[in-house]
Amino acid sequence: MGRTKAEIHPSMASQHTATAQAAQPLTLDGVTHSYGTGFAVDNVTLEVKGGELVALLGPSGCGKTTLLRIVAGFISQTNGKVIIGDRPIDVLPPNRREIGIVFQNYALFPHMTVAENIAYGLAARGESRAVQAERVAEMLATVRMEGFADRKPRQLSGGQQQRVALARALAIRPRILLLDEPFAALDKNLRLDMQIEIKRLQRQFALTAIMVTHDQDEAMSIADRIAVMSHGKIEQLGSPVEIYDEPATLFVNNFIGSSNLLKGRVEAVGSDGYRVALESGAVWTLAAKGRFEAGAPVLVSVRPEQMVLADEAAPDRLPVALKLSLPIGGALIHDATAAGGEDIKIAVPRRPGALSTGPGAAFAALAPHARPSLFPAASS
Amino acid sequence: MSQRSTPADISFNLTVGLIAGIAILILVAPVLIVIATSFTTTQALRFPPPGLSLRWYGELFDPVRSAPIHTAALNSLWVAGWATVIGSVLSVLAALAITRVSRPSARALEASFLSPLVLPTLSYGLAALMFFSVLGIRPSLNLLIAGHLVVIAPFVFRTTLASLTQLDPALLEASANLGASRFYSFRRITLPLITPGIAAGAFLAFIASMDNVPVSLFLSTARTSMLPIRMWGMMESTLDVRIAAIAGVLIVAILVLMVVMDRFTGLTRRVSA
Repeated sequence: MGRTKAEIHPSMASQHTATAQAAQPLTLDGVTHSYGTGFAVDNVTLEVKGGELVALLGPSGCGKTTLLRIVAGFISQTNGKVIIGDRPIDVLPPNRREIGIVFQNYALFPHMTVAENIAYGLAARGESRAVQAERVAEMLATVRMEGFADRKPRQLSGGQQQRVALARALAIRPRILLLDEPFAALDKNLRLDMQIEIKRLQRQFALTAIMVTHDQDEAMSIADRIAVMSHGKIEQLGSPVEIYDEPATLFVNNFIGSSNLLKGRVEAVGSDGYRVALESGAVWTLAAKGRFEAGAPVLVSVRPEQMVLADEAAPDRLPVALKLSLPIGGALIHDATAAGGEDIKIAVPRRPGALSTGPGAAFAALAPHARPSLFPAASS
Repeated sequence: MSQRSTPADISFNLTVGLIAGIAILILVAPVLIVIATSFTTTQALRFPPPGLSLRWYGELFDPVRSAPIHTAALNSLWVAGWATVIGSVLSVLAALAITRVSRPSARALEASFLSPLVLPTLSYGLAALMFFSVLGIRPSLNLLIAGHLVVIAPFVFRTTLASLTQLDPALLEASANLGASRFYSFRRITLPLITPGIAAGAFLAFIASMDNVPVSLFLSTARTSMLPIRMWGMMESTLDVRIAAIAGVLIVAILVLMVVMDRFTGLTRRVSA
């Protein structure tokens, strides 16, 4: 009796196992990949927790794509291990790894319909047509593409193609989901929608996921943690807030968001932080991380939104000459030159009748609660 | 519409128009003339025909009087068919192997597989005849198939290679990622996507074999006569109007085939690409 039941409802059975199976962690243990003399990936160790979405963020050539391809099995690493759960998968060929991938240009099979694309992984596993049809219907509903089963990929818009690519990847009930620049080919307006969609599906299926991107906004918006990469190494791993507010290195600081770098010198080290005299005149007391001696030359990194403009001079305000004011979305970005000659940008919330918007002299101060970062500067 | 044509525009349009006109005159006019001639009422190949009739088509399809022509046509079709099939299989296998390897030796192989395209076919026909007679192999239809194979296989090789290089490698990665074995990927992804390329090449190869003269000239005998050779023979001896009828049949057959092929494979796109 129980046997017949299981045969009647194969999808329920498989769904049951899919949800019962807890999301598995993905571990990269000392993964290294060298091309000739250089390293594409240099001793990367990273643990992605079960159900977590980690973004590999970095400029092109930083090794993030190579890392993704190593996880997928398209490249064998020179050294190190890739582990899903507690099982190393390095010996498995790509077709046995059960990893779902959404490719950069989706790589949908052009000669197949949407339904055939989604069913492909099941067909390759020799699943029956009934199981395939059922899973296709379920996946089309999941990505809200019910009416498109018989279309060819070229008849779909970019966003629709991406939904199909997601459905195809999820149809095999992967253990891990890899996203390769998933939003690069989409219109700007569509990106936010798809980011929400991907985040929703990743939560719904409790998938451990890695996303490769060079776009910090994408990474900030949907990743649980971000690994900023440069020259094959992870520069910093942390939550989007940590990465943005407390960049560990100057590279991370410059890569994430825009920032003003002001030259200065540590005057004194006190209990409330470092007293830094900026070359442009102001003296700031900064409770920043890091270790600096009195007299050390430093770079102070201030985000545009961490500064405010004032009309009157004060010791903690630096005089600036405003050049341009650009309304960008909800903010007004002032392009200014500091007394030391540094170009700085100051972003203030835009409101009707705001402070001076034309060229002129003003004073820039730190916004309340602003925590600029300090980095060592080469002594001059 | 309000734009005025400058003298440069006029001279450009005139030049292009003139060249196009000459091309049409040289390429299309002879075809039209031979077709018109084939409908003549007279005994002789003469243009313009004094009257129109289907007389020579009747003669051509007469099973008794035109038996040698029929034999030659069937021989040609047989040889072209087999040479195309065998050549396509070999070329596809070769192209698949070569695109998978990036060593310089693969590039050298590629060049050598394509070399029959630039080989003087007449020299090859002579060489093949001498080679086979040294080996003691007597002329036969199989020998003709072998000879044509060498000359026409590169057509399929070239179009297949082009299809394979245009194939997005990400598709094969996606296929493997979804759990497909190499063979399954080949059957469901690679083969369907390169089939139009193979078909286009096979079509060209078939045509090349059908009107190949140089190789057939050396390798065919009286028993294994081929259509182009037979036509040439008739031309030299009798100036038979049936030649024009054969030409008419061939032209129409190829045109029909081409339209069909273009529907299915985008032949014109592939050949021009």
